[in-house]
Amino acid sequence: MSEVIATLKKDYIYNLMIKGKRQDGRGFKDFRDIKLETNVISKAEGSAKVTLGDTQVIVGVKLQTGTPFPDSQDEGVIITNLELNPIASPEFEPGPPREEAIEMARVVDRGIRESGAIDIKKLCITVGESVWIVFIDVHVLNDDGNVIDASCLAAIAALMTAIVPNEQQGIGTNVPLAMREIPVGVTIAKIGSKLMVDPSLDEEAVCETKLTVVSSSDGSVAGMQKMGSAPFTEAEVLEAIDMAREKAAELRELYLEELVKRE
Amino acid sequence: MSDKPEKLITDDGLRLDGRHADEIRPMKIEIGVLSRADGSCYLEWGRNKILVGVFGPREVHPRRSQRADTAVIRYKYNMASFSVEDRARPGPSRRSIEISKVSREAFEPVIMAELFPKTAIDIFVEVLQADAGTRTAAINASSIALADAGIPMKGLVTSCAFGKVDGQIVLDLNKEEDNYGEADFPVAMTQDGEITLLQMDGNLTPDEIRKGFELIKKGCKEILEIQQAVLRKKFETPVEEPEAEASEEAEGSEAEVVETEPSLEYAPEAAAVEEIIEETEELSEETVEACALNEEAPECEKLEEIIKDAEAEIVEGESIEGAIEAESEEEVEKEAFEEEADFEAAFEASFEEVSEPEEIEEPELEETEEETEFEPEVEEFAEEKIQPEEETQPEEEAEIEEAASEETFESESEIESEAESRKEAPAEQTVEEPEEEKCKGPWKVVKDPSESGSRGENDE
Repeated sequence: MSEVIATLKKDYIYNLMIKGKRQDGRGFKDFRDIKLETNVISKAEGSAKVTLGDTQVIVGVKLQTGTPFPDSQDEGVIITNLELNPIASPEFEPGPPREEAIEMARVVDRGIRESGAIDIKKLCITVGESVWIVFIDVHVLNDDGNVIDASCLAAIAALMTAIVPNEQQGIGTNVPLAMREIPVGVTIAKIGSKLMVDPSLDEEAVCETKLTVVSSSDGSVAGMQKMGSAPFTEAEVLEAIDMAREKAAELRELYLEELVKRE
Repeated sequence: MSDKPEKLITDDGLRLDGRHADEIRPMKIEIGVLSRADGSCYLEWGRNKILVGVFGPREVHPRRSQRADTAVIRYKYNMASFSVEDRARPGPSRRSIEISKVSREAFEPVIMAELFPKTAIDIFVEVLQADAGTRTAAINASSIALADAGIPMKGLVTSCAFGKVDGQIVLDLNKEEDNYGEADFPVAMTQDGEITLLQMDGNLTPDEIRKGFELIKKGCKEILEIQQAVLRKKFETPVEEPEAEASEEAEGSEAEVVETEPSLEYAPEAAAVEEIIEETEELSEETVEACALNEEAPECEKLEEIIKDAEAEIVEGESIEGAIEAESEEEVEKEAFEEEADFEAAFEASFEEVSEPEEIEEPELEETEEETEFEPEVEEFAEEKIQPEEETQPEEEAEIEEAASEETFESESEIESEAESRKEAPAEQTVEEPEEEKCKGPWKVVKDPSESGSRGENDE
């Protein structure tokens, strides 16, 4: 986000970075502490709350029946929305979503959709008539930087713990939402010529550009988005991709794989 | 919506529209198509039809969005409701808002917004017909429209996408490939190859991404050439002036070539580029001589000075005499090669002495009477033929091809077209030659009707 930051602080962060240090003492490849809770909202079919440093994000997954898109008659529908709640930052205002919110929602959506995380064929109730629509709603509760990674993590965790409420529609018993893949998004921030993961709020204000890479468990890349005005070089992009894949594998192993077992 | 074709790439490696994996769709660019906009561009790329208008720098509304230190760049990508198969709902969609944001960011590094504080630069993109790759097409068109509006930029932005189709990495997806392919990877880059837009969806391994980047660089290079050709055609058109200015400008352009590309130094291919610059300098000098040769006019004093400088290096009149007599290429060569040091001087001197129009020049004189500024160039090509350049030429071309940096394009096309005319074109044809060179390949550069005359065709 475009937080205002003192020039002095900006210089401080920048100079630290040159020395290979970060404001909070982390290494360039270290995430802040992550806490992941699932099933935090019982009314939702699936939910998760992620705390990343002081950033807090909550994701609720709701399933409703609806008609499929004409070009994919036997597939369920995924709709992702991201709310930059005014409660999360003095910068945020109520009203229609800002560009950043739309962009982040679409990046979260892209990772889930393109990696084939949800088996959408199994969400078909009657071909061409009725399918499950999966609403993934991301609520940002506190913005302390790197909302996008927290959102990706919370969204996939919420989906992995979601159930398909068949009973509610009278079409059989409730089953877990069929998942095929665990995409994890990792954002690499570029400050000067250095690349680092998980930028804090101040670092986000200093960095001019970020690259979010969503990767699948086989290490392939399912979605990417460059955000911010400064350019990347090709070598930096390739380096960032490798960095992101490595971190994604770590996060997947630490926080998400246990959710698979739970099913 | 049509069903998925069985194969998107045929057995012989061609795509559904007959392209190779590394080929872009044909692109047509028209510049200055809107009279009310400060800059505008109409671009067709395959079946995409994009119209871009640029306004500004102008006052910002609402006022609170203005910035005290820089111009606000606003980019609005909009799809016409009739641009796609199923009618699109008019107005901004989430997709178009996202595209607007990333496209704006693609231009922020190149537009020198700090020169216009408290203003706005508005870029409005209308997608009239969409056929995959509209955001990349829109960026290419916006680049031209911004240049047309005279907005200072550090360079052009070019954009192109690669994707994966039937497991193969291909450049510039068309609609079918976009719909049924496995990945789409749009990129925008500056002339230095810095990536200003990067998005991706689908499924790619890092190796595939590396491979894709190579294709992207090739595609962007081709697009940049098209863009530059269009801009040159519009902005290098000479103002009709007395011949005195013309010759002065010929000198001025020599300096310009060097000055306007300072960033070349930083490119990894700086060495190659420098060579090209040197070459251009040499050429310009010859241009000047050519002018002197042709006109015998008093305003060519400057040129004569240069020639005199050169003459100072001559050891004796012997080689001059020889050169004067030498009417044919071969003879000049023989004479000139006798002594390396003497060669240049002899060569130049020969031109000076041969002030009476020769056979070679006669058609030029008539043809170029109106084209004051280009006269030198035309002559130059004629002269060039006499110069024994054959040995250096292939080397130079090879170097240029190796230089992958987009920076070199401008110089490259100059040199290439000159080389072209040197090698094969008789003097009479050189007027058309450079332009034809540009029009080769899968694209066609649309000629601005207002400038379709012969004027400005040979303005390399």
